[in-house]
Amino acid sequence: MFELLGAGIANILQFKYLVPLFVGTLIGVVGGALPGITITMTIIVVLPFTFGLEPLQGLAAMIGVYVGGETGGLITSCLLGIPGKPSAVATTFDGFPMSKKGEPGRALWLGIWASIFGGLLGAVFLVATTGPLARIALQFGPWEFFALFVLALSMVAGLVEASLAKGLVAGALGMIVTILGNDPVMGQKRLTLGIPMLEGGIDFLPVLIGVFAFAQIMSEVERMGGAHQAIEAVDRGVTLAVSHMKVIREILSRPFLLLWSTFIGLVIGVLPAIGGSAANMLAYDQAKKFSRHPEKFGTGTPEGIIASESSNNANVAGSLVTIMAFGIPGDAVTAVMLGALTIHGIQSGPLFITQNATLAYGMFAAYIVAHALVLAILLPGVRWMLCIVDIPKATLFPVVLVLCTIGAYALSNTMSNVYVLLAFGLVGYGMVKFGFPLAPFILGVILGDQIEINLIRAIMTDSDPWLFLTRPISGSLIALSVASLGFSIWQHHRQRAKAVAHVEADF
Amino acid sequence: MPRALSRDGWGGLAILAASLFLFALTLELKDSPLVPIGPGFYPRIVLGLTALLSLWLLIFDFYSKKTESKEKEQLNYRLVALMFAQFGLYCALLPFLGFRISTALYVAAANALLDPPVRGKGGAKGWVRVLLLALLTAFLTHLVFERYLSVLLPRGRWTDF
Repeated sequence: MFELLGAGIANILQFKYLVPLFVGTLIGVVGGALPGITITMTIIVVLPFTFGLEPLQGLAAMIGVYVGGETGGLITSCLLGIPGKPSAVATTFDGFPMSKKGEPGRALWLGIWASIFGGLLGAVFLVATTGPLARIALQFGPWEFFALFVLALSMVAGLVEASLAKGLVAGALGMIVTILGNDPVMGQKRLTLGIPMLEGGIDFLPVLIGVFAFAQIMSEVERMGGAHQAIEAVDRGVTLAVSHMKVIREILSRPFLLLWSTFIGLVIGVLPAIGGSAANMLAYDQAKKFSRHPEKFGTGTPEGIIASESSNNANVAGSLVTIMAFGIPGDAVTAVMLGALTIHGIQSGPLFITQNATLAYGMFAAYIVAHALVLAILLPGVRWMLCIVDIPKATLFPVVLVLCTIGAYALSNTMSNVYVLLAFGLVGYGMVKFGFPLAPFILGVILGDQIEINLIRAIMTDSDPWLFLTRPISGSLIALSVASLGFSIWQHHRQRAKAVAHVEADF
Repeated sequence: MPRALSRDGWGGLAILAASLFLFALTLELKDSPLVPIGPGFYPRIVLGLTALLSLWLLIFDFYSKKTESKEKEQLNYRLVALMFAQFGLYCALLPFLGFRISTALYVAAANALLDPPVRGKGGAKGWVRVLLLALLTAFLTHLVFERYLSVLLPRGRWTDF
């Protein structure tokens, strides 16, 4: 394993891979720092550029975006009090107060170094567990895969912030997208509604790009032209000088906090489609609970910054484990990566690491090297990152939508994917307005086909439906799905009861 | 106590109607004698499940207490509708005008819509910005994708450009 990793690092340090990794990391840092532009959006923009590259070049660029984006988000969180992305929200709680107290450099570099440490600890987990988990998954038959995908979908639907019913409906809607077109067994047309474009089914990438890009851009556009546009002026005279050794010591003197926050980030990353936004809030909450001085949280305490930032970078490693071992995207960013793999004809899943060892270890190496590149970018350039908040969204949004169009068109060089992009842009925006979560929808679109194929394969192998419950792994996974839904129902009931009690108390 | 439907209820109702409509269509799908499971088997499970879940959403919304939102944020839906319309027009024109012309037109229109040059930016200077952004985006994306990344972009049926 270490030999392969060493070879992977040597491979990624070659000029032809290092350049896309560096460019991806730089774009990620910039995209992460831009308030209102998420990492998903940034990776969607980068996607069409990877079509003409080798698989490892493209994936290295995407991993760079992912790692760079997670770190870049903390810049505006700490210095402006505006989170660059949802996974840096908790960083704002203590990063910005620390800056206001006259220590912006300390706040910023505590976050950057915590990201690096969290990310590198995550790398250990990524390298050590992906192979063994994939080997376990290799023992799976269609019953187990069916149960695993159902578990992923039920967990996502249950863990989203919206109601459980909406989460499940969103997941089911995603699965409906996959039943349009040909059936996977006999290739018979079904539910095409007389539209020739639907006969070949719908690719998931234009759906994903449309849903996420339009949902985000239009949610920003609807706030434009009003009072929302005012952004706090950036004080460019602010000094960011800091003793890096002192900051590193400050982080390493809290080993439990660092390890626990990293662990939370990893676990949240492994769970499908929950993402860094939950990881940083949960890690922050845990850090506060374990702290001897919880009252200091929110006033500029270093623990808050360390917990939030180490967890969101470790979350990246967790997401990569899930996609590389099981072929299930950990979040929207890895869903785009899954699409990039598909474009290059590479099948993700348990066989990925054994059939594409060079690529897999190249990805591990890209993840590790990206952290060093983040430092190389931010050490000289952190002050420049403050300038990017001045980029007008009126300039950014049309260009982003053009890149999304290229991404959709270039998948098959046909306009049909562009029309799918537009149609699902409308669907995505509509879902946001009706309060339906996007994550279960996208997971439904990605896993729907696999759920059907494995269900049919299982039934065609042995028509006894009880096998889904009586086979130990399959049965356990289905039991976990039921438990996950039960837990969500209980959690939602508890929240509602609390809300009612709160309203009554207020009254 | 039953109340009027909220957006959850209307959403649930729309999805219920759509899933029942599609479910009805699956009944027309013919099973194959070669395989034990027909093409409608899985769609019926998914659509039936969707119908049940949306019914749950609808019933839950119908009987739940609705709280009045204290303050409604003023959102610019007109701008959103115009952005969608512009993008729709862009998609429609792409095969006829080709990538470069339609992209330049779209970027100019969208940029002018989101940040109108006549308002506050000093007229001519604003239009120069719109024009520059449009031409640069069309030129640079075409150059990078077609020349360096070998990604073919749409040619115009009317313009052959």
